Amino acid sequence: MRGMPPADIGKLKRMRRGEDKFLGSLEAQVMDRVWSRGSATVREIVDDLTRTRQLAYTTVMTIMTRLHEKGLLRRAREGKTYVYRPAYSRQEFRAQLSRDIVRGLVAEFGDVALAQFLAALDRVDDRHRKSLERLARGDR
Amino acid sequence: MTRAADRAFTALIGIALLSSVILVALFLSLLSHLGEPVPALVLALASIGIVLGLASLARQLADTLALIRRLLRARVAMSGALATEAAALGLGDRIDLVADDRPFAFAYWFARPRVCVSTGLVSRLEPDELRAVLAHELWHVERRDPLRIVVARYFAAGLYVIPIVDDLVAHYDLVKEVAADEHAVSALGDVRPLARALYRLMPHAEEMDMGLLTPVGGLSVTEARIEQLVEHQPIVARLPRLHVALSVATLGAALVLLAGHTPLAGRLDILLAWPPAALIALAAVPGVAQQLRTVAHR
Repeated sequence: MRGMPPADIGKLKRMRRGEDKFLGSLEAQVMDRVWSRGSATVREIVDDLTRTRQLAYTTVMTIMTRLHEKGLLRRAREGKTYVYRPAYSRQEFRAQLSRDIVRGLVAEFGDVALAQFLAALDRVDDRHRKSLERLARGDR
Repeated sequence: MTRAADRAFTALIGIALLSSVILVALFLSLLSHLGEPVPALVLALASIGIVLGLASLARQLADTLALIRRLLRARVAMSGALATEAAALGLGDRIDLVADDRPFAFAYWFARPRVCVSTGLVSRLEPDELRAVLAHELWHVERRDPLRIVVARYFAAGLYVIPIVDDLVAHYDLVKEVAADEHAVSALGDVRPLARALYRLMPHAEEMDMGLLTPVGGLSVTEARIEQLVEHQPIVARLPRLHVALSVATLGAALVLLAGHTPLAGRLDILLAWPPAALIALAAVPGVAQQLRTVAHR
């Protein structure tokens, strides 16, 4: 998941109820189709999705551009059109998302009055991390 | 450090109550002069404080209930290791294990707090590390910290024109964690289990690289806890001079206005009343901004 731009995480932190809020409903459907196909053009996704609902080509194009900007889709120009591929496998995405939701357990619920063992989104720099590691090993 | 935490909370509540008494008295004395500009301004600022305080209280209760309800739906029977460690600390009947891969442990609820632990946490920790985490949470349970947190945040929001109350809440946030850590180290007679538990549960380095965590000025609470475990330096409350000055000036201005609106003193001349009212309005600006930032970060 390295390389996912910080913009994703900013959105993730604002998330309230997990994956549904991280990806909008249509974004999730588009990602689902791209994961199933392995790679796809906007037209192919439009064709897939319009089997069950009405959708404009430009709507899907906007969604896929947004997913590309979020770092979830990669794209390469082939002829006159872009071909999109998932930047991460479905499992990688879910694993990362679930781990990040862990971190945001309390952030997810807002203003909770709890005494947590570890603040979910607390920052720990490298110096403190190494210092704690030495202490944990017993060679401080 | 337990004494330091109790002192920090007492100072916070003392200053908050004293400020509340002065501001409520001023509010009541001005109610009958609502049609005049200075009382109207001060009453409007006071009303914002009442709304912020009640909103903070309502939000905290609603959000806490939502989290607890959702987590407790996943409550499962205690595992052997957890039951053993909890019983050893006298926490046996006040602990909930919830089925969740996410590693977390926290004290919750107000009158008789309990500890909630996830299966994800239990599976990641060795028995002595688990005992260290439980001993840490036991300290919060014994001091009813969830209730203290609600009260402290309520005062910080309601007394938004007294900025040192918010600073004292931040200070208590830190010293309570350090005191709970000290309790855990003392209960186990060894600092290493707690250090290992913290190390195992803290966010991974690569998450930092990805920008997952928001950079903030100064030490984070976890960084300060690590420094305490390693160096045992006393923690001093950092109260920005500007906040101290604004808080003192606001309370002074409130007292001047209050003295000018008592039946004995008669009415304060409007020319004399504007400067203290303007001072309170000045303190209100950063206070509201701080409360909005706090809500945005939580």
